Amino acid sequence: MGGLCIRGFNVVVRADGQRVMVQLKKDTPDAITTEVVRNKLEGIANEMQSTLFRSSFSPIVKEGLDASASLFTIGGETLAQAIALPFHLATLIPMVRKIIEEFKLDEMDDGDIYIMNDPYMGGTHLPDIALVMPVFSGGKLIAFSAAMTHHQDIGGMSPGSVPTNATEIFQEGIRIPPLKYSSKGIINDTLLKLLKLNVRLPDSFQGDLNAQIAACEIGRRRLCDLESRYGVEALKNIFADLLNRSELMTRQAIKALPDGSHSYVDYLDNDGIDLDMPIKIEVSVLVQGDSVHVDFTGTSQQVRGPFNLMPSGAYAAAYFAVHAMTDPSIPTNGGCFRPIKLILPTKSIVNPEEPAPVNARTSTMKRVAGCITSALGQFLPDRAPADAAGEMLLLAFGGDRVDGSRYVVGELIASGSGASEGMDGVDVIETDGTNCMNLPVEALEMDVPIRVHKTELSTGSGGSGKFRGGLGLIREYEILHGTVVFTHRGERHIHPARGLMGGEPGGKAYSKIKRRDGKEIVIKSKTVETLEIGDQILVQTAGGGGYGCPTERPEHLQRNDIADRKTLAR
Amino acid sequence: MSTNKQKIGVDVGGTFTDFSCQLSDGRRLGFKIPSTPGDPSQAVIEGVTELIENYNVDPSQIELFAHGTTVATNAVLERKGATVGLITTSGFRDVLEIGRQMRQQMYSVRLEPETPIFLAPGRRRFGVIERVGPDGEIITPLDESSVLEALTSLQIQKVSSVAVVLLFSFMNPVHEKRIREIILDNNPDILVSLSSEVDPVFREYERTVVTTFDAYIKPTVDQYLSNLSNALEDKKVGASLQIMQSRGGLAGAETARIRPVRLFLSGPAGGVMGALSEGKINNFKDLITVDIGGTSCDIALISDAKPLIRQEGVIDKYLVRVPMVDVNAIGSGGGSIAWLDKAGGLKVGPQSAGSEPGPACYGRGGVEPTVTDASLVLGLIDPEYFAGGRFNLDADKAYNIILEKIAKPLSLSVEEAALGIHKVLNAQMAEGIRFVSIKQGFDPRDFVLMGLGGGGPLHACELASELNIQKVLVPRQPGVLSAAGLLSAPIEHEVSTSFGKALKEVSLPEIIAGLEALSSEAHSLMRKEGISLKDIEISFSLDICYIGQAYHLEIIIDLESESPLEKVYRDFLKLHDRVYGHSVEGDVRIVNLRAIHRTPVFEEKGQAQLSSDRSVKESRQILCDADSGFIETNVYDRSNLTRGQEIVGPAVVDQIDTTTWIPEGWAACVLEDSMLLLERMGKE
Repeated sequence: MGGLCIRGFNVVVRADGQRVMVQLKKDTPDAITTEVVRNKLEGIANEMQSTLFRSSFSPIVKEGLDASASLFTIGGETLAQAIALPFHLATLIPMVRKIIEEFKLDEMDDGDIYIMNDPYMGGTHLPDIALVMPVFSGGKLIAFSAAMTHHQDIGGMSPGSVPTNATEIFQEGIRIPPLKYSSKGIINDTLLKLLKLNVRLPDSFQGDLNAQIAACEIGRRRLCDLESRYGVEALKNIFADLLNRSELMTRQAIKALPDGSHSYVDYLDNDGIDLDMPIKIEVSVLVQGDSVHVDFTGTSQQVRGPFNLMPSGAYAAAYFAVHAMTDPSIPTNGGCFRPIKLILPTKSIVNPEEPAPVNARTSTMKRVAGCITSALGQFLPDRAPADAAGEMLLLAFGGDRVDGSRYVVGELIASGSGASEGMDGVDVIETDGTNCMNLPVEALEMDVPIRVHKTELSTGSGGSGKFRGGLGLIREYEILHGTVVFTHRGERHIHPARGLMGGEPGGKAYSKIKRRDGKEIVIKSKTVETLEIGDQILVQTAGGGGYGCPTERPEHLQRNDIADRKTLAR
Repeated sequence: MSTNKQKIGVDVGGTFTDFSCQLSDGRRLGFKIPSTPGDPSQAVIEGVTELIENYNVDPSQIELFAHGTTVATNAVLERKGATVGLITTSGFRDVLEIGRQMRQQMYSVRLEPETPIFLAPGRRRFGVIERVGPDGEIITPLDESSVLEALTSLQIQKVSSVAVVLLFSFMNPVHEKRIREIILDNNPDILVSLSSEVDPVFREYERTVVTTFDAYIKPTVDQYLSNLSNALEDKKVGASLQIMQSRGGLAGAETARIRPVRLFLSGPAGGVMGALSEGKINNFKDLITVDIGGTSCDIALISDAKPLIRQEGVIDKYLVRVPMVDVNAIGSGGGSIAWLDKAGGLKVGPQSAGSEPGPACYGRGGVEPTVTDASLVLGLIDPEYFAGGRFNLDADKAYNIILEKIAKPLSLSVEEAALGIHKVLNAQMAEGIRFVSIKQGFDPRDFVLMGLGGGGPLHACELASELNIQKVLVPRQPGVLSAAGLLSAPIEHEVSTSFGKALKEVSLPEIIAGLEALSSEAHSLMRKEGISLKDIEISFSLDICYIGQAYHLEIIIDLESESPLEKVYRDFLKLHDRVYGHSVEGDVRIVNLRAIHRTPVFEEKGQAQLSSDRSVKESRQILCDADSGFIETNVYDRSNLTRGQEIVGPAVVDQIDTTTWIPEGWAACVLEDSMLLLERMGKE
């Protein structure tokens, strides 16, 4: 080695081990340049995301991480996406495609920004607003830079724009079709004024929109830098190459699964309107060679309440499940999505028809993701976990403080995860597509006149098995002042998380209101109630399913479970 | 500086224990001794013995003995801490286990617990009957019999320390203090950590974690520091033992034993303090330090000559609310393994060959190509002068492994493959550095990059080019800077408390009274170390947020200024704009008060040689661009560089602890104190 310093030439080792001098390649993208560009694209998406989080006003973005940033090819495929929540995977795709269809690539200009939120044109639910910015470099359109943010309020019948009792989309807020928010760098003032007049927090609304623009602008600027370094043609080839690589790896991972079809059925408790009508989710997953088809035939009709899920949400849930169950290390881009197809019956809860309400779709998405995961698990019996409870209990309290000021506080409480071979489930943990923090008791009590009496693991709520399911949580509240409007959106009150390989189901969720006079009201999964001083609330979230026969659990672990209060002494 | 006082800095790392010594004649001495993981103090004493015997150090004349230790962190990583009991408010005994319910592995369906349950599993957690309210009011008085019941169960389980975390104890610690009395009355051998003393700040889970960690490592840290103090006394070392805290200041061993949880990240903090002082000497106040070791790359920011501090750090995988120098690790280093994914894409890391077996060229059985193997193929490092020639590298092994695992499958030459490994790694690290700085609201172009560790100076210029940074610094001893940093670090004590009032509702005297109480607490810690008030710099800060916000910013309050609270508000808006990209006039709340006492930072210039004609040691064939092939490149010996000397790239500077690579388009200049300043020349 060493001493090989003829300009433009280098030594290549041929397959037979012989070293020969060859002229070095020029301009054609190679494995190394592709990987360098991939790192940069990921870095750009992360920088966009960081800008989006830093600059947003809404607490739901800052603490719930409910925003995401992506780069798209001009063909409308995801090039790179920064993921804070898996449920944002690919949710921008139908919106970017709709915008391309509506505005035509050759009519777009540098400085244009497009906006939309309407679920029935490709959106998710109304609070999620997408901004899409075409990126021009050297006079040519090379990509799109896009950002989606869950805005704190988008108007409609209730503050926060997620009314659990909505029965049509018009009650949920203002609908925005694909429109030009900015034309050649000039903001559409008419549109902005109209939007601001229709939301409850106009300043924070505009601040969050500006954060989205700032994020798109970062993407635009850095993509232009890339273009000036590599050139339009080379970049195009690299983009195509990156998508093909991820597609190839995803197909390889799918091919490793045995061919065949497995189905899974699970239920949502109800839609918040018809409380005694469970909602069926049925999926049939077909693995054929290197592709996956998920058929939702058999799934419930669309519902009256706001639990309907747009196709983009069903796709995001499917992408999550396939990615998690096959090979999560594959770089995420549009290539990963190519081998996955969904069959979504019209007028079903996963493909509703206008004007069905959709704001509470997250509960449905979580159950859909759970069903696809469990169906895929049947292809991979050694890796599959038992069902996670997948319950994200939403509580909201709205009332007055002692000084007369108004408050609304929200709580998101997790449940237990499913056990799997070699591992107990985890107690009170976020699963599948969401990842939110809970509210510290001290933060709550310092802010509002509510006292928490208990925050404890719900002993015995994990499904028994050789490996135990994760436990749910018990929390008790007492109203200390005034009249409070209380919202409760639960799941798993009626249908528990199932066990696997002989493991038992997790405990069901249970909630009740205990009035000051001692009267008790059991909550049927969803409710909106008025509470007075001295009223108490008890909530108990569900446990995850157990794995393997409970009698196979070693004696010493059973003793530990009792000592650590995971299970009740028998 | 002519004094016959001597100073010693010792930083214990996983593989080596680094020494940096200020000798009585002004010379700086740095060396490494293999660490003794079983009892880390052995290597420390070995080094001290070497200093005494080989370098004529008079132990009685040592005026500073500063130590960076991993003993606190290792107790956690190796799960060798105490058997801890946890006492909480009844109804809240599971807070430690429940945590904040978020998960780190988003795509895993086989989840692992996110909370440090091992510190105190359910059987060792007990609720006692009592309740303090959000204003510190007592809602339910302490039922002492419930404490005794808990204590009986804990004693049966042979706990050696107990953490006590009651709701709102930061507003009113009376119940926590009473519980400690009851415990000690029953068993004076139990060590007790009270949340109202360890971290008197709201959010019960975070306070529980930090207090329970404190209880967990207390006996280990206590034992270690008392052993080491005794051993140093046996060696007749004149100075008392000073320990680096995670915030970047030193504290006497006696104080450190009371607050052991502040010793997490003691080592990396030393490195950042070293970088700070090296930069300051030459008036560089805004630095990004990149410390590239075998398995990871640590990135830290210094802004206006202050290290960025974060209020929460990561130990093992757990977030622990201890103020720490903000060091961000990314999983790329010299030992990072290059591999091909299933679609033939070239990837580097995060898996690493570490130091055992290490890169293939170490010849210790490494069978995967690493970044160091690539550096060797490219000619960037000298196989005969690695780690000062302590062991030879096997260039053929490096060549063959890259050939087999990367070059052949990709139909590239070995040289192109090696170059590719470097390009991918540099792209990865550059994005990592950019992300760390933009997350804090900084543009990396406004900073000087400082290359540290064995690999930092090798990659620094390439990284700077990627980031559009114009200047790179390489300190005198980039490989032992953590130890050197200990010599210049201030002695520092920081005391804080929750406050929780709207800024517009408080009066200045109220704030001053609060700060003064903290200040006298900090001062008594200083007094314990024999430092008098006149040698102390005092600063105060307030943690502030908009009302309704869940995160806060630390703002210095200048009590000398005309209207301190107005200035605090303005500074908050300014900082909020930098960090979060916007700020609006709005009501803000004070979350915590803080007093910081520290001694001034000690700066000392080293000296470069005036002249030498032996600086070019040899030349090597180096490949830095596939188009131009290998180029004959001068190799300089760092120890023979002279003040003011300029070196135009491409060139290499070798020294015992690292290799500095000066690519084409860059030029180096030797500064007065022998630090290397590398600058980008013109454009292109």
